[in-house]
Amino acid sequence: MGDGTAVVRDEGAWTRRRRFLTAAAKGFLRVMRANPLTFIGFIMVVIIAVLALLILVVPPISQVLLGHAVSILPYDPVIGDCPPALYNAAGNCAYPPSGTHVLGTDNLNRDMFSRVLAALPLDLFIGFTVTGFALLVGGGLGLVAGFWDTPRTLGGFVSAVIMRVTDIFLAFPSLVLALAIAASLGRGTGPSILAILFTWWPYYVRLVRGEVLAVKHQPYVVAARAAGVSNLRILFRHVLRNVIEPVVVYYTLDVGTVIVTFSTISFIGIGVPLNVPEWGNMVLGYETYLLSYPWTILSAGAAIFVTVLALSLLGDGLRDVLDPRSRRVLAQAALPSTLAGVSAAKAPG
Amino acid sequence: MTDSILRIQNLTIDYVVGAGTFHAVRNVSLDMSPGRVLGIVGETGCGKSTLAHAIPRLLSEPPAKIVSGSIVLQGIDLLQIPKWKLPMVRGTGIGMIFQEPINSLNPSYRIYDQLAEAVRIRRLRELGLTRRGSIDLEPFDYARSKTPKTLDVLTHAVVPTTRLGGKWRRARVDDEEIRAAVLEYLKLVRINDPETILQLYPHELSGGMRQRVMIAMALSGKPTLLIADEPTSALDITIQAQVLTLMKELMNEVKTSILFISHDLGVIAEMADEIGVMYAGSLVETGPVAEVFESPRHPYTKALLRSAPNKYKDEGPLPSLPGSVPNLSQLPPGCPFHPRCILAREVCREGSSPPLAPPKEAPESTHRAACYFSEEVATLP
Repeated sequence: MGDGTAVVRDEGAWTRRRRFLTAAAKGFLRVMRANPLTFIGFIMVVIIAVLALLILVVPPISQVLLGHAVSILPYDPVIGDCPPALYNAAGNCAYPPSGTHVLGTDNLNRDMFSRVLAALPLDLFIGFTVTGFALLVGGGLGLVAGFWDTPRTLGGFVSAVIMRVTDIFLAFPSLVLALAIAASLGRGTGPSILAILFTWWPYYVRLVRGEVLAVKHQPYVVAARAAGVSNLRILFRHVLRNVIEPVVVYYTLDVGTVIVTFSTISFIGIGVPLNVPEWGNMVLGYETYLLSYPWTILSAGAAIFVTVLALSLLGDGLRDVLDPRSRRVLAQAALPSTLAGVSAAKAPG
Repeated sequence: MTDSILRIQNLTIDYVVGAGTFHAVRNVSLDMSPGRVLGIVGETGCGKSTLAHAIPRLLSEPPAKIVSGSIVLQGIDLLQIPKWKLPMVRGTGIGMIFQEPINSLNPSYRIYDQLAEAVRIRRLRELGLTRRGSIDLEPFDYARSKTPKTLDVLTHAVVPTTRLGGKWRRARVDDEEIRAAVLEYLKLVRINDPETILQLYPHELSGGMRQRVMIAMALSGKPTLLIADEPTSALDITIQAQVLTLMKELMNEVKTSILFISHDLGVIAEMADEIGVMYAGSLVETGPVAEVFESPRHPYTKALLRSAPNKYKDEGPLPSLPGSVPNLSQLPPGCPFHPRCILAREVCREGSSPPLAPPKEAPESTHRAACYFSEEVATLP
């Protein structure tokens, strides 16, 4: 007992750090085991990310190595005439899902599976840039506005300005504002991403400011002040750490919302051109075939659904990982019930 | 009393809120000599906690407003120094133990991280590695500490191991030393198995354990002055006793000056050398604990003592003081206690409140009361 310190000193900082990392990895696995849905979400996100990466990098790499571009998309155009049975009243033809076309083909006989996959990098890019920008800018402004909000000081003035500008942005429905900006910037992928970027951050200002206001008067923040911790350290170490949890959850759910909003802009004809594969674009473009070729619109919709689902499952799990209190509950849930009962009984009140 | 650690003079603090101005602390003056424990006692809402939080300037202003007065810690007026220097005073100048141990530890960090932060702050300041320079305050006297092992680790000067580039940005104190110090402080507050505790999160500890950690955290700054703001009120009675015993032992080990705030007369009697009784924002009586308890010179103190339960005999219902504490936004003129006082006369109802004064027969006495008729208090039942 008494020599505990000596033992620790011999061990060295790096050993301890390595041990900490091992423990963290074990904790991660435990959380994943305790919450299988999170694990599924995690796996899905990994698969989606790897796919997007492969779709992007395989063609240029093969171009260099093999002399011709190889795509991992199983693009398999339909050759020859359509069987008469597949024509609809409007004179379009599409193949239903089959062995050759897993998700069928669309009205122009393009393979749906390839189209859905081809849209993946663009959609992920849009989802993550817009929310990422909103998180950094909006979250940063929210931190400042929430932390330095004393009236009649410079901080209070800055905070008031930030919040009033935010209010002005929030006064317009974000879609309408985005449409107006996109329309004035001209048609195209870039301008429409810019338009959403410009309208998305105010929600984060609101969210983060509210959380900061709630956290910054907590007794543990006052206690940290009393211990002599400087203002900036209070902000980043004590306030931000306790604010980040709800923000991360909101963020992961928000990626899906951005993809859907982007598709709305495309639908109106301001966003990406119709021939560019993009999920929202596809959903809205195939709307007319909902009854005649349901697989077209359903596969595009399912792509959005699966991506958003994966992210929100992961987001839920992230909240549990970020909050030490629920982590403990999870760890207990992972134990056999009898053991959990014992450790709950032993837990100090 | 030139060598006082803390001298507060005519401190007045208001809360300006929608419903009006609440005079939470009115014209409070007090002196603390080194190594002594001053206990402040009073009912809920009499301004004790406001006073405690005002000393390290932890009140949120607004709504609080320090109207006048001075708080001088070892020659430094805390109301005059610029705001950005205040963190330099906190932790190492003034340490604080709070009322709610449940919420006073950051739920997101392990015990180690929180204690290490406090230890690191002290070390960086000792080494002069802070960006904002330091403020010259005497750390409390560990030389008189009874535990030599503690002494060794706590006073050991540490050379930063990784100082690359700029002086401040890369200033680090050796992790191993910090860890050793953290463990020592946990042992100091009688935590068995500190190695395990270090790895836990606050919610995994009981209230008493958390308060011990808070005490360790406050001590690790080696503050010139330690403020304990009702450290045991939120704990149940058994744990209260344990924490009080611990604090009592620590007071003997580390000779620091303590401002101990409580609503419990018994606790104050046990812990403090001197006592200050607060009523409606003012100090109504100050003096050595024994004298004040033996022969109170203010009718409020007398009533307070009379209403404390005696555990040895059952005297039926406890006597209580008629009336209630005045609304702090509408204080009566004159002595704030006069509406409830049986000694009250015409002079008590007008003008300002009576000043703290020593008895006429002993003008040098430190036992002072804010009452015009303090000689008559002894005759009260």
